[in-house]
Amino acid sequence: MSMMAVAEQTEAETVAEKKPGGKALWLLAPGVLWMVLFLVLPMLMMVYVSFWTQTTFKIEPTLTLKSWVTFFTSDTYLGALWTTVRIWLIVLVATVLVGYPAALYVGLFVKNKALQTVLLVLCVIPFWTSFLIRVLAWRPMLGKEGAINMILMNLGITDAPIEVLLFSELSVIIGMTQIYCVFMVGPIAFMLGRIDHSVIEAAQDLGAGFWRIFRTIILPLSMPGVVVGAIFVSVMVLGEFATSAALSGRKVNLLGNIIVTQVGSLKWAFAAVAGVVLTILMGAVIAALLRVVDLRKEL
Amino acid sequence: MNASGMKLGLGAYTALFLVFLYGPLAVLAILSFQTGPEGGPQFPIIEWSTYWYQHLFGLTPPSRIAPLPIEQALVRSLVLAVMTMIVSTVLGVTAAQAFRRKFRGSGVVFYLIVLGMMVPGVLVGLGMALVANTLGIDRHWWGTAFVLHVVYTFPFAFLVMLAIFNRFDPSMEEASWSLGVTPARTFRKVTFPLIFPGVLSAMLFAFTLSYDEFSRTLFASGRDLTLPLAIYGTFSVEVHPNVFAFGVLTTLFSFALLGTYAALMTLSVRRAKRVAIQEEA
Repeated sequence: MSMMAVAEQTEAETVAEKKPGGKALWLLAPGVLWMVLFLVLPMLMMVYVSFWTQTTFKIEPTLTLKSWVTFFTSDTYLGALWTTVRIWLIVLVATVLVGYPAALYVGLFVKNKALQTVLLVLCVIPFWTSFLIRVLAWRPMLGKEGAINMILMNLGITDAPIEVLLFSELSVIIGMTQIYCVFMVGPIAFMLGRIDHSVIEAAQDLGAGFWRIFRTIILPLSMPGVVVGAIFVSVMVLGEFATSAALSGRKVNLLGNIIVTQVGSLKWAFAAVAGVVLTILMGAVIAALLRVVDLRKEL
Repeated sequence: MNASGMKLGLGAYTALFLVFLYGPLAVLAILSFQTGPEGGPQFPIIEWSTYWYQHLFGLTPPSRIAPLPIEQALVRSLVLAVMTMIVSTVLGVTAAQAFRRKFRGSGVVFYLIVLGMMVPGVLVGLGMALVANTLGIDRHWWGTAFVLHVVYTFPFAFLVMLAIFNRFDPSMEEASWSLGVTPARTFRKVTFPLIFPGVLSAMLFAFTLSYDEFSRTLFASGRDLTLPLAIYGTFSVEVHPNVFAFGVLTTLFSFALLGTYAALMTLSVRRAKRVAIQEEA
């Protein structure tokens, strides 16, 4: 959230442009150089290597389209691309559905600032723990002898354990939704917190019901929050491979998993192709999300 | 509008939401006290014990369950986190300092820096591995992985420092300069104490993010494992409660860090208040 605000501010500052003075240049140089060498260069290298020739264990800098052709004619790779898009869409919708009501409560209904802060802090605390441990924590929850099956059987809701809970696409979706939904709650709660309560009161006085107020006031005003949350969640879910590795039992292969296995078997050129495809997909998703709402105008 | 009913419903939902957030971690913590070595990572708890914690430190008789390879990994992870913390905080402070003056191209530079926290680790890790291969550089956690950790944490430090400098009154420094104090001494005596809370936050971010980071490390670190890589290694095999015990300990460590940060922050705020009172008197 603040990132966007800062971005806008620096943008506004460039109106009164100045050349970087000698001192500023020296202050900036180390950071910029670091990013160019260790972020831009590796990304460009990935694009370049995707056109190299792959032999059994080596890559040679002879340019070819072979790896690209292999990628787009292989069922495995195309399947991974489709799985990535599907899981991303499902998790995105799930995080909005799960996160929105909580954000609505924290951002709009809790008027006590202290309680609001406590609730937001409670949402953030799990991020203070190791990401991998949080992923792994779903195993004893969802397993055949896991906590959820135990509770369901003790309550008499099911007779036999539900096996589809773990090592399936469902477990990956549940895990990702839990891990990433907070990135949805934060921005939405922030936007809802800025709604002027007198607008809602005015609508109430004019006899509008809750759903009408929600549809015409609350939802439109919270959309920038949803979009920012969606950008966070999309970037993280599309780059995922650990959750699917831990919870799907190798049944769900995302593009990230393809990259990991290809690197493991020294197929660098194929890994690079998958990486470039992933980068393009991510860029397209972010561009599309920014089309939905003009963040510059809304924030 | 049935506001109170709605509020009650949403409140109940939020409570459930928190259970959803914390449930798995709570279950993991409970199961870490399972008896060993025969007790598995599931309910019911056969007998409460600290067996798996002792197992973690190699205090139990050898059994069929291999100990987690964490001793060396812990040292590496801590050293890496400290290195990352220092470098990314220095870079963050200097870059944000440069942003206090308007300059041409600041938009491009801003996005270049922020890109570091947006690009997924799997991509930049792969790219770095390719660069290292091509140049014939060996991949190490203290080399190729370290620079990627800084790429990831430097933007956080930069944004924190930008926010701090935005609220910063430049007339303080100007007063110091006009009194003939050298810029270096001004930075040490005037600027730094004012931005200290920001620096502390930037350090905290950088340390924790680096300590937890693994997708960048996975490709860029070569043979020696860091702590997250050791955990990632257990994903493909059967999980035993020793991993859960480790999870509890590392969570406690993170909270201890947060506590230290809060204590230092309170101290700094108190000192600032005392100085302010002295000035007024």
